[in-house]
Amino acid sequence: MSIKDKVPVTILTGFLGSGKTTLLNRILSEEHGKRIAVIENEYGEVGIDQGLVINADEEVFEMSNGCICCTVRGDLIRVLGNLMKRRDKFDYVLVETTGLADPGPVAQTFFMDEEISSEFTLDGIVTLVDAAHIDQQLGRSDESSEQVAFADVLVLNKTDLVSDDALDNLESRLRDMNRMTRIIRAEKAEVPIETVLNLSAFDLDQILKRRPTFLEPEYPFEWSGVYELEPGKYELKLEEGPDPEMSLVAFANQGFSEEELKEGAEASVRLYAEKAKNLEPGNTIPYDEHISLKLQNKGSKSFILDVVKTSKVGLFTQHTAEEFNMKVLKIDSQNNVKEIPFKIERNWVAEHEHDDEVGSIAIERFGDVDPEKLNTWMGRLLSEKGVDIFRTKGFISYSGNPRRIVFQGVHMLFTAQPDKEWGNEPRRNQLVFIGRNLNEKEMQEGFDKCLI
Amino acid sequence: MPDIEPFSPRGMFHEGWSAEVDDYAIVCGWALKGKLFIVGDVVGGLYGFEGDTGKLIWKKDEAHSGGLLAMSIHPNGEIFATSGQDGIVRILNCNNGEEIKAIKLGKGWVEHLSWSNGGLYLAVAFSKKVYVFNQDGNEQWGSEEHPSTVSAISWSNKNELATACYGRVTFFDIANKKTNQKLEWQGSLVSMQLSPDGDIVACGSQDNSVHFWRRSTGLDAEMTGYPGKPSHLSFDDSGMLLATSGSERITVWSFSGNGPEGTMPGELCHHTEPISSLAFSNKGLLVASGSRDGSVVASFLKNDGNGDPVGAAFAGDLVGDIAWRPDDCAIAAINAKGVVTVWNFKVRTSSSSKGFK
Repeated sequence: MSIKDKVPVTILTGFLGSGKTTLLNRILSEEHGKRIAVIENEYGEVGIDQGLVINADEEVFEMSNGCICCTVRGDLIRVLGNLMKRRDKFDYVLVETTGLADPGPVAQTFFMDEEISSEFTLDGIVTLVDAAHIDQQLGRSDESSEQVAFADVLVLNKTDLVSDDALDNLESRLRDMNRMTRIIRAEKAEVPIETVLNLSAFDLDQILKRRPTFLEPEYPFEWSGVYELEPGKYELKLEEGPDPEMSLVAFANQGFSEEELKEGAEASVRLYAEKAKNLEPGNTIPYDEHISLKLQNKGSKSFILDVVKTSKVGLFTQHTAEEFNMKVLKIDSQNNVKEIPFKIERNWVAEHEHDDEVGSIAIERFGDVDPEKLNTWMGRLLSEKGVDIFRTKGFISYSGNPRRIVFQGVHMLFTAQPDKEWGNEPRRNQLVFIGRNLNEKEMQEGFDKCLI
Repeated sequence: MPDIEPFSPRGMFHEGWSAEVDDYAIVCGWALKGKLFIVGDVVGGLYGFEGDTGKLIWKKDEAHSGGLLAMSIHPNGEIFATSGQDGIVRILNCNNGEEIKAIKLGKGWVEHLSWSNGGLYLAVAFSKKVYVFNQDGNEQWGSEEHPSTVSAISWSNKNELATACYGRVTFFDIANKKTNQKLEWQGSLVSMQLSPDGDIVACGSQDNSVHFWRRSTGLDAEMTGYPGKPSHLSFDDSGMLLATSGSERITVWSFSGNGPEGTMPGELCHHTEPISSLAFSNKGLLVASGSRDGSVVASFLKNDGNGDPVGAAFAGDLVGDIAWRPDDCAIAAINAKGVVTVWNFKVRTSSSSKGFK
């Protein structure tokens, strides 16, 4: 059976009082022409006549092997096992879990039980968050951070009770925990139905269509400046600063507008993902390349910028220009030194330390990976850290394979499937891991060893 | 729809009759000593067909609002019980489908029903509790709450009922209202079968294994390596062979000699998709299997559990249930499209034009 014939299932999680029942009632009462079956773990508040509503006690079944990834929800297997026999009578299943539910076993049920996975497909996990209380809940319980970690969509509900500043802070905290989620703000759980149903969240192609780089921009550089330069040779001069080296990307044609700066930033992110090329003082800075300026020497260091025709030269630097007192200088034939100030500068939010135990790790690299090395690495990673890794999503470029390989997983369970052909697109890899106490550096290094 | 091509009955399967019910047929059984064949569909329709011809004798719509879940025919074949998502158990007359008694248990699913071996009691699994009623529908006994929803029930003798749930099989003495035995094992038990003498308890588990206990010796064993959860189990009438399946393959364990521990099971590979129903004949070592691919195969087994197919037929779609007629001279299958097919089961004579190749 192809994925299109399977009945999609959305899981609705969230703490008591987060607004799940309100949302559920809205979904059921809205005219959308779909017949929805609801499996409820919290009793009583949804009317029977609004749809097919089945109450079931949450039953978490652990296996004798003790493996948490094999843990499934017995109630869902039972109820869905019965529902599948009447699948022509509904188009969609919604599972509402209790506030204390661990989303892991719910999601795993759709991977682990052959009977269920042959008829149903997990469409997405929607977590409702009470904007006024989640901050405390996150500190107190593992369940709430896991519900955030598992979410494909986070509905930040009851925003009317919280100040804008607090909401922004909360949103960035949630974003740190789960970088692949979509955050939607709502009052009284009023969100468009299409944002919670038919997410195809486990269908990576959809995600990538929506957001070509599904990593939220957390830039590996802090500053950019654009200089208007006539043809000639220029000197990029740096004084002693906080680091013995600094990454930089230069573009020969960088626009001034915010739109163009963002485009430049996006391109820089891709270039920063590549290994940096070391550049000693006195050398010419190449354009469109990730370079690392070597700044160990005492005193000021200079690099050459070669401008062939009048251009707007953009520099995207790891640290701010201020920190190194970085200047662009024009030295004419009489050795007159003239500083060329930037026309425009912009600071970027840099990657920063994450406070919550639960967080996301993104790996983005150009190039191909060796399938065998990657399998060994992933196998070891998931067997050692599978308990702490909640979700995995991404795509990989296998050397020699014309198709993109799409990954997705829940804990230790993952699938790797060939997807669309690469065509002329540059070969690259994007992986996001969401989990608890993950070591970003170690994981990135591990992945880098799989690159060819 | 199944991927396999339709085919005519082969071997010992011969054209009998077929009929159709309104929805996905989920339960069936023979009554009135084979004179009646009863079918229940998922939305609660009940149908009584004449056993020889397939003529519809009676029909009952929506016996259970929300849907039908279980059916059990009394050993004397005169009455039967049904239950559903409406939390109701109904006792009905086989002759005309008329209701004799309705038992309202409350809000919840009644998923399992079983008449005791002598027919004195009807056991009913209602969520985490089990009740026992007499033939008139009067409550005789009720259990405490089990640790989880009861996943299977079975009678070990005329007074003793076994229940399975997450992590446990429990034996209750109904006549004396006490608990006889608890067998514990951490695992989600999805199916249970007792050997005819009640000594061997076999359970299929969610972790793709079959666990069994011998009550007389207290020894237990776990058979692992199933590709899927063994939802289908069947003992032959002597209790020597246990057929199990959680995939397109049937694994048969033989309890002859010192087995099945340390022995190789018999393997039957006749289907292209997972088994959806499995039943030994009433007498002898014939096992019939129905698959999601719509095929039904009967195999004749040897004492070691190995065997060969003796006949096959195509039921058109996923086989929801199969039932041997009490005299084993016919096999019935019902499918997901609501089609009911009954084949005569006999040795094919040489004059037949559809000879077994």
